[in-house]
Amino acid sequence: MAKTEIQTHGLGSGPGAGTAGDAAPAVVLENVSKSFGDHHVLRGVSLTIRRGSITVMLGPSGTGKSVLLRCLVGLLKPDTGRVLVFGEDVAALDETKAKDREKLFAIRRRFGMLFQDGALFDDMTVYDNVAFPMRLHTDLSEAEIRERVIDKLHRVGLKGGEQKFPAELSGGMRKRVAFARAIALEPDIVLCDEPSSGLDPVMSATLDELIMEMHRSLGITFIIISHDTAEAKMVADTIGMLANGHLVAFGPKEEVFREDHPAIHQFFARETQGPIKVV
Amino acid sequence: MSKLAATIDAYWNKGLAFLRFAAHALRTQLTTLPPRDAFVSQFVDAGWGSLGLLTMLTIFAGLNLSVQSYGSFERFGGQDLIGMFAGIGGVRELFPVMAAVVCGARIGANLAASLANMRISEQIDAFEVMAVDPMRFLVAPRLWAATLALPLLCGYADFIGLGASYLGAVYQLDLDPGSFLTQVQDQVRMVDVFAGMFKGLLMGWMVAIIACFHGYTVKASDGAEGVGISTNLAIVHGAVLCIVVNLLLSWVMYG
Repeated sequence: MAKTEIQTHGLGSGPGAGTAGDAAPAVVLENVSKSFGDHHVLRGVSLTIRRGSITVMLGPSGTGKSVLLRCLVGLLKPDTGRVLVFGEDVAALDETKAKDREKLFAIRRRFGMLFQDGALFDDMTVYDNVAFPMRLHTDLSEAEIRERVIDKLHRVGLKGGEQKFPAELSGGMRKRVAFARAIALEPDIVLCDEPSSGLDPVMSATLDELIMEMHRSLGITFIIISHDTAEAKMVADTIGMLANGHLVAFGPKEEVFREDHPAIHQFFARETQGPIKVV
Repeated sequence: MSKLAATIDAYWNKGLAFLRFAAHALRTQLTTLPPRDAFVSQFVDAGWGSLGLLTMLTIFAGLNLSVQSYGSFERFGGQDLIGMFAGIGGVRELFPVMAAVVCGARIGANLAASLANMRISEQIDAFEVMAVDPMRFLVAPRLWAATLALPLLCGYADFIGLGASYLGAVYQLDLDPGSFLTQVQDQVRMVDVFAGMFKGLLMGWMVAIIACFHGYTVKASDGAEGVGISTNLAIVHGAVLCIVVNLLLSWVMYG
């Protein structure tokens, strides 16, 4: 296994920086930077995420975690750098060109995404929300779709209530339905944007168990952004840390903790003094 | 001066963004079939949902047309011309424009608010991530629904408005029904009704594209305020455009 580097100063992300394992990579970021006006959100982030891993990207609010996630699926275009997903540079695709858009959609079909607030379609029932990607991207009959939707909803612990609308669900139920939708097509990669935010600890732990169960049973690669340290400890095999737009640490969980990087230490110890500054 | 330049620049960029959006939406609308369920749901909401409001308003407008014109025509003994007035003024202008502005505002507000809400709650992003084109699944059905519903509403407004004028003239003002109907028949041709519906077709598309643009382009970070602003802009811009387009079309058709 290749030696994992953990950046200890977070400036410069040269070749090999932020590498976790030597399995075939699902995602490679090379020197990715993104700014909004004068606000530099990501500064030269480089990392490699291997297939079949559960990577948790930690960091304080506003440090570019969500921006990073959006760059992976082409919802945002980085100012510089490459975003390689299964070898295809998503950042180089121009959505206004039909051919590039087709390529982008082909890549996106390999993703599922759990949005922070679920992003369930308001005018569809729970059942239709989960069935939606199957109806669009598969040739399954309605009976087969029904079977799969029920299976996915059972997996996330939701029996009955298929005909409810999102507005009738609690926050935890909405998250679970959104998770069922994210895994509906059993994608290669599932992105989770703050899966535990707004959930009580028990519900949060339930969702974490679901992630691990899906990882075990379907071999899905998970990329989770979070600031929940308990969640990172529970589900991650790889941990990354973003602070002030820099990737300050990245690697297998045990090695990251062993290195005891000051930013990681500050984050997990909930200390106000340290390299992470509250702006 | 620099503030003025920045304002002009912002409007210029917004205008260009609108043209790009409209071109993309029109291309999608004409080259792909909208999902049937989404179209039917939007069409029912735009058409059936507007009927109550439109019926009430056109009844009052039709009655008012008779009552107001009676006072003016009576001075020179021309009460019988009320039918002509209701026919020309109502069918050619008032009823279709009212239908377009009032129903357009209602439909436009709905479209803008629903899309803006979907934007801030990341539902449009969810479509994108699922490799589903939101233009085809969200914008095109709304455009088709408004474009097809508004001409029907204009035709309906002609029928109800003229009927209300007739009832006002005959039962309130005690005019001769035969005279009213003769005046209407003499002055109003079917082509006038179709012209009003054609105006509705154009105005329906324009109201919808403006509303979709304002709703679709809201920034997620704008939150609930963004939904309100986009809805407001959709109503104001849509109504102004309806009036301007109606004037231009009237010049072309009757000028």
